[in-house]
Amino acid sequence: MPASLTSRRYAVQDLGHAIELCFEKGWTDGLPVIPPTEARVRAMLDTAGLEPDREIAFVVHRNVAVTAEKAAINAVMAGCRPEYFPVVVAAVEAIGDPRWAYHGPGTSTAGAGVLLIVNGPVARELDINAGDNLFGPGWRANLTIGRTIRLIMRNVCGSRPGTLDRGTLGHPGKLSYVIAENETESPWTPLHVERGFAADQSTVTALAAEAPHQFYNQLSATAEGVLTTLADDMRISGNVMGQPQYAIVLAGEHMRTVAREGWQKADIRKFVFAHTQNSHSHLKRTQRMAGAIQPGDETRMRPLVESPDDILVVAAGGRAGAFSAYIPGWGSKRSSQSVTKEIRRPR
Amino acid sequence: MSTLEILDPTVETPKTVIAFVPRPDSLQGKRIGLIENTKFNSDRLLLKIGEILKAEYGAGETRLFRKHNSSVPAHRELIDELTAACDVMVAGIGD
Repeated sequence: MPASLTSRRYAVQDLGHAIELCFEKGWTDGLPVIPPTEARVRAMLDTAGLEPDREIAFVVHRNVAVTAEKAAINAVMAGCRPEYFPVVVAAVEAIGDPRWAYHGPGTSTAGAGVLLIVNGPVARELDINAGDNLFGPGWRANLTIGRTIRLIMRNVCGSRPGTLDRGTLGHPGKLSYVIAENETESPWTPLHVERGFAADQSTVTALAAEAPHQFYNQLSATAEGVLTTLADDMRISGNVMGQPQYAIVLAGEHMRTVAREGWQKADIRKFVFAHTQNSHSHLKRTQRMAGAIQPGDETRMRPLVESPDDILVVAAGGRAGAFSAYIPGWGSKRSSQSVTKEIRRPR
Repeated sequence: MSTLEILDPTVETPKTVIAFVPRPDSLQGKRIGLIENTKFNSDRLLLKIGEILKAEYGAGETRLFRKHNSSVPAHRELIDELTAACDVMVAGIGD
């Protein structure tokens, strides 16, 4: 006898009325949702092997527990297939981690999205897109997993736009913001392996993040050329004075150009760290750093991030096109850090 | 006629009762703690408030405390120090 679901139930006439009721109750992100029936919710829970009352995360600053039942209801609404649910569970664990520090990214005027980077075999099995239109439309897994996280933030954690979520501008990634690393074609160590997991483990990494910034380099055939453009684009971006973490997403052409010369991810981080520093005089002249310019400020440099390790390098994006992206993290590393969690599936 | 039943995706807001310390009748001679949230100019604003409390309400010394960052509650050590060293505190958040 499976444990009963304890959520309040609403009886409705038909599917159309159910969809409208979800709008009326304020449960959606502005788009229609799949009505969460018990059968659909149970399919989610069964796939992950979770009891409904299992606490996936406790968000201390909101004093709220995210149970498997509530996560599953929101996953159904977002349109997830049941096999996506273990990814959702890992992502909820990540945003509930004290290092991610929910309260800031879940409420801030600076408008953080939850960038989720999926690594390992699960990404391929679930067809989580790592290629063309990486951040864009077309892949059910990418769009529904990210949408679930935002619905959980709204419906369980209370981050409703206009009340607790006070993003001044927000960004489209706040609807859904999920990518996989292109481990099939990447010559580099995958992100999760760099972060201490085995290659055959699957993980999700959550970074509270601004929108992706695309940069162009259609000229260079060298690693240094491509990364010089990247660094120049990136140098003044995001919360320049806050030193958030960053993600760099190198797509096919740039990935191949940089890798051809033997550059590893550590080399990329080191180069970008060195070339994204700003002089104090520039920061003061452009009203980012307080105070009058002092002697020596022209050569006194402030790094964009605290350390090279605060740059997450990910190989992903279409094979064609000399474009890649960088993504400033939200706020500052002091306020929120990226967190990686294993995706666990029942054997 | 109902043909479909759907489940509520939201949670009840947990209710917690918080004990409030009684407000002092007067600020005369009271030690004032100012909790700075690390945002730019928050220290200047709080110090100004402290000056007003001293000049207009006869408050005693003021002391500025700094949180780790603006997005988290004040840390335990800060609260312990504040409890020992102050009678009244002023906190807030803003951009």
